[in-house]
Amino acid sequence: MKLLIPAQENSMLFRHITVALDSSPHSLASLTAAAELARLMQADLTGVFVEDINLFRMAELPCSHEIRIYNSEPEKIDTAQLERSVKLLAREAESSLQRIAGEFNVECSFRICRGVVSTEVIASALEGDLLVLGRSGRSPSCRKGLGSTARKALAEGKKPILLMRPGFSADKGDLLVLFDGSEGANLALSTAVALTRAGNTLHLLLLAESYEESLKMERELSHKEALSNAAVEFHHLPINNGKKLVSYIRMAASGLLILSDRMKITRESVHDLVQEIDYPVLLV
Amino acid sequence: MPLPEKLSPAKLYRTCNAREFSFTTTAELDGPIKATGQERAVEAITFSMGIRHDGFNLFALGPNGTGKQSAIMQFLGTIAPKAPVPSDWCYVNNFEHPRHPKALRLPAGKAATICRDMEHLVEALLTIIPSAFSSEEYQVQEKNIREKFQEHQAEAFEELEKQAAEQHIALIKTPAGFAFAPEKNGEVLKPEEFMMLKKKERETIENEIMTLKTAMQLIMAQIPKWQRETQEKIKELNRNIANFAVKPLMAELKNSYASLSDVIGYLETLENDIIENFDQFLEKEPDPREMLLGLSSGKFSQKSSLLSRYRVNVIVDNSMTKGAPVVYEDKPACQNLVGDIEHISQMGTLLTDFTLIKPGALHRANGGYLLIDARRLLLEPLAYEALKKALRTRQIRIESLAQLYSLISTVSLEPEPIPLDIKVILIGERQLYYLLNVYDPDFSELFKVAADFDDELPADDNGKLAYARIISAIAKRDQLHHFDRRAVARVIEHGSRISGDSTKLSAHLQSISDLVHEADYYTSSAGRKLVKAADVQQAIDARVLRSSRIQEKIREATLKHSILIDTDSEKIGQINGLAIYSPGGQSFGHPGRITARVRLGKGEVIDIEREVEMGGPIHSKGVMILSGFLGARFAINQPLSLSASLVFEQSYSGVEGDSASSAELYALLSALSGVPIRQWFAVTGSVNQFGQVQAIGGVNEKIEGFFDLCNARGLTGKQGVLIPAANVENLMLRNDVVNAAKKRRFAIYPVTHVDEGIELLTGTPAGELDKTGNYPTGTINSLVVAKLNEMAKKIKKFTASASDEDE
Repeated sequence: MKLLIPAQENSMLFRHITVALDSSPHSLASLTAAAELARLMQADLTGVFVEDINLFRMAELPCSHEIRIYNSEPEKIDTAQLERSVKLLAREAESSLQRIAGEFNVECSFRICRGVVSTEVIASALEGDLLVLGRSGRSPSCRKGLGSTARKALAEGKKPILLMRPGFSADKGDLLVLFDGSEGANLALSTAVALTRAGNTLHLLLLAESYEESLKMERELSHKEALSNAAVEFHHLPINNGKKLVSYIRMAASGLLILSDRMKITRESVHDLVQEIDYPVLLV
Repeated sequence: MPLPEKLSPAKLYRTCNAREFSFTTTAELDGPIKATGQERAVEAITFSMGIRHDGFNLFALGPNGTGKQSAIMQFLGTIAPKAPVPSDWCYVNNFEHPRHPKALRLPAGKAATICRDMEHLVEALLTIIPSAFSSEEYQVQEKNIREKFQEHQAEAFEELEKQAAEQHIALIKTPAGFAFAPEKNGEVLKPEEFMMLKKKERETIENEIMTLKTAMQLIMAQIPKWQRETQEKIKELNRNIANFAVKPLMAELKNSYASLSDVIGYLETLENDIIENFDQFLEKEPDPREMLLGLSSGKFSQKSSLLSRYRVNVIVDNSMTKGAPVVYEDKPACQNLVGDIEHISQMGTLLTDFTLIKPGALHRANGGYLLIDARRLLLEPLAYEALKKALRTRQIRIESLAQLYSLISTVSLEPEPIPLDIKVILIGERQLYYLLNVYDPDFSELFKVAADFDDELPADDNGKLAYARIISAIAKRDQLHHFDRRAVARVIEHGSRISGDSTKLSAHLQSISDLVHEADYYTSSAGRKLVKAADVQQAIDARVLRSSRIQEKIREATLKHSILIDTDSEKIGQINGLAIYSPGGQSFGHPGRITARVRLGKGEVIDIEREVEMGGPIHSKGVMILSGFLGARFAINQPLSLSASLVFEQSYSGVEGDSASSAELYALLSALSGVPIRQWFAVTGSVNQFGQVQAIGGVNEKIEGFFDLCNARGLTGKQGVLIPAANVENLMLRNDVVNAAKKRRFAIYPVTHVDEGIELLTGTPAGELDKTGNYPTGTINSLVVAKLNEMAKKIKKFTASASDEDE
């Protein structure tokens, strides 16, 4: 088995980070995480705010009415008012970006585009090395699992992608890496090593067909120089037990999960896993 | 009628024999300063302090400096320590009605303890509550509740979204709410696409959207309810956690005060309040705007506001009190008596709370005794009324005066009144007592006992010994030199002199105390260790000298004949009266010339002083009395055909008193009889309608005033003063006067009747009626009768000739 642990000089993985902003709590967490990573990687930051085309189309439909929480009667949507509200959200997003980028001392730029949110976000990601976005957006119906944009970015987007949620940090705390010896797993491990800070533990969850194989992987990894400076803890799990994997990740609660969808386990399983767990995930 | 003899020198001054004393110096005596000779007052004090019924408060009346306060303090010093120590009182927050703080009664000494306990409790809660709420268990439970709400909501939306998706309708989150729109391949239909649909399809879509909207509205209507339920659950959780954290501490505290039901009641409400308001113990991020304005100082202000909310404001702390408290309130302002509610200014607004309630003297003296100077009390606005109200209602109700009179308009408090059990002792002058009795109906209800302090005490052995003890006590208290017994005797003699009676001693302890201090000064100046009689005399002389400027100016003017006083010749209708002046507390006497002139008239005696309104009513009364005497003696058979005028010569400031009425009568008799009066005499004494000479005040000063003038001009041996015989007992004359009398250079004559006086003054007997109803020839009275007859005839003749002319 060949390990792809990069040399120290190649540790700067991300130079341009794109973060999707929509003023939701998840988006704010994404922004903070993106800024943390940008500082860590000396990368620049691009905030993207997408004016949802669906909103404007809907406003022009004769049958569209807005239902508000504290208003009993639906009201006809006023296009001008909608424009103003969306601009306001954009301004909020921009000022958040500038404030947080200022706090982390990273360079930033802000961009507004109009279109279908997921499409625009995925398109924006092409310009950067990493797309950061919230696990869920502003819709109350998609707070469990992944939001529609995240789902689409996961399915269609270029990797790597960081899905954040509030209450976690991208460069503080422990990291958890799924490792099964595949190329994708090696990439995940390389990224994790680059992100591990002194004092944090790198949890390596080794997935193998048998325990012996798993131990063998541990032995091999233990001798790697790239891991010698980090506090590494090895954990072992059989590779084909999806349920156990989910519950293990939940129990470990080790912070950011780093994995790849090009591993021995199927891409769909990886995506299901990402949907299932309520933790931030960096998919490489 | 026999003429009165000159008084012997022994009668002019009652010497105190120092050899009568059993001590040599006052250092041998001990005991406190006692109010000797005040048995009546002490009896009243004993009665008032002993009787426990309402209204039997005491008014100690008497002149200032008679030792009223000392006597009362001494008495209370004997009974107060034996009385039980009264309860402590505090004010605590009334959590339900913060405007009405609760009063808490505690056994003596417990208030300070509970105050400390509450401070410790808050300190402990500041640690315990935040740690309970930051525990993982709490965080998990709270998160679960919140997530349950979120899930509930999300499920409802998901269901609806799913339902919509089946009809190719998208649920879209707008900036302010939700909306439904037809979709195709994940995108909302463009308006033109929608319009290109068949009418029926559009209607179907619109109907679907309508149905979905109704369903969405139903969900929306549920959301506030779910939020409320979630909040309730979180509140319940918080309550449980807070309860769990607070309970053990409170149980411990309640255990300490198990026997005090009021305290237990308070602690229970306090516990509930802490549980309900647990969040105030959690650390809060200070509001930057408040920080900027200086309103918040973060954690420190959080702690101080909590300490304030749960503080115990100790109003009365009797932990160090032994027996019943005895309080003397030196400044009996209303707020010093019944307490006050202070305010603090915050951003220009006046705020207050129960911690700003300040106790008054009534609180401190509750269960004991309160002494107040009546005059000061009456001078303080509203204080007397507030005191009466407290005594009448038997409770102390603190009211903000400013609030009561709408001087300020801000939030104030109405603290729960505290029951009052007290003896109030007012100390004041007699005049005040009489005025209050007459004009204030409440006064006699509330101050039923009067302790009337005497101005003087008998100059017997006990009185003298009391004086010696007082001197000793003052010397010890103020660390002065002790007095030898001759000095004590001199002080006693001075005590008699200021009492104005040689058989009495002044009870004015302040004067004695002053003299003792002044004598001590001269002793110290001379470097002696014991005060001698000479020091006392020097102090007395110095005091006289200090205040003698006016006296000397008058004497100087007299010697220069600016003021005409004759002390040598004999004059008809002119006599030396004696007036007393009292500028600035020191009295002195001086002679004044009184003259009388007669003319034809209708029998009236004109008092010129009264005519020009310079004479007081008593003086006018005296003149009318002497007119009565004249009328009764000389106008029985025929009307008085004279007009007489009487005047105090060179008097520019008015005359009051009747002590010159005998002198005025002598002047009038001289003017009528034409017999001159010996000007080397001066006269004092009032007269009644029978011609008897009556006692007057200030006899010593008057005699000394005339003596000083004669002495300055040179004593001839003829000079002297006629005084009422009743005043002989009051004589305590200066040493130089007594010495002059001893050397027969000056004399004092006690006179009982004007007939004696006129004979002494003129050398001519007054004369008594014989059997024929006439006075012996050559006597004053016969000469007066002859003069009056002559005048009557002239009147008659004049009247007859006048009527002839008319005809």
